[in-house]
Amino acid sequence: MNLYAYCLVEDVDALDAAPLGISGAAVRLLRVGEFAVLVSNFDSDTVAVTRENALNHAAVVRSVLDRTTPLPFRFGTVITEKQLSSYISARKPALELRFALIRGCVELSVKIIRELSTEKSAPGEITSGTTFLEEKRREIRGSEQSATEANDIATWLHEQVETLTRDEQVTVRPSEKLVLAAAHLMARDKISQYKEIMAAAREKRPELHFLFSGPWPPYSFANIELEFKSQFGVS
Amino acid sequence: MSTSFDQMIVSEEWDSTDLSLLETLDHVLNRGLVIAGEITISVADIDLVFVGLNVLVSSVETAHEVLRKRQTE
Repeated sequence: MNLYAYCLVEDVDALDAAPLGISGAAVRLLRVGEFAVLVSNFDSDTVAVTRENALNHAAVVRSVLDRTTPLPFRFGTVITEKQLSSYISARKPALELRFALIRGCVELSVKIIRELSTEKSAPGEITSGTTFLEEKRREIRGSEQSATEANDIATWLHEQVETLTRDEQVTVRPSEKLVLAAAHLMARDKISQYKEIMAAAREKRPELHFLFSGPWPPYSFANIELEFKSQFGVS
Repeated sequence: MSTSFDQMIVSEEWDSTDLSLLETLDHVLNRGLVIAGEITISVADIDLVFVGLNVLVSSVETAHEVLRKRQTE
């Protein structure tokens, strides 16, 4: 029998009431060493990427957020009980480190969108080699400028929240409209302060569009492979 | 630890229901603890094509379109 794994928790002994899981299966707590895993029975080998399944996964992980800070598994984690036990016992130190990082925290997400300036010539304007080279130079200058602007935005955002965050994951994409996606890990009692700072940040930069979401279970801070590799020399 | 959390989805431009869905999908599908080799998703009968969830903004219009199509089916 396969199990579908939702999240790992460290200090939950019993589930009060969890929502139904993938395929409507009942969710239960499986104790593995000092940790426990929210799982449900799963008959198939693959999980269909449907809206319902994805939302069920999210709801189960979220159901324990009021009580603890779970380490969410990625959608589609289907595994046997033996494999799960083996995985957890082999990575116990890395998991403990990860729990130490996320304990008492939640994730807040911010995405920043900007309008890209386009200085391209209209199609058909390029009539000579010189014009072509000028156009190329303009493109390169534009790319460099975009990269500088994107990095400036990332630095600026970091400065706004650095006193509140325990950790952050930032992706900067200079060439895209969605120039920055950041996940901020912070203690739960900092959320209201974070919202105030972000509201002020939006006022300060009216040329940028912001999309905030959260609080989330710390999905963006759950992966332990880096710690595992450094501990065991896996490359 | 008994804090109650209301999900906050804030944007000045887009419908928060769709964004909430996209943000949820972004977190659930793109992030989280990965047990190498144990992600066994099937996209054969896709309910939503999560096109470029990392590129949420460019996906918003796509998502709107997909949702509209779904509603008319």
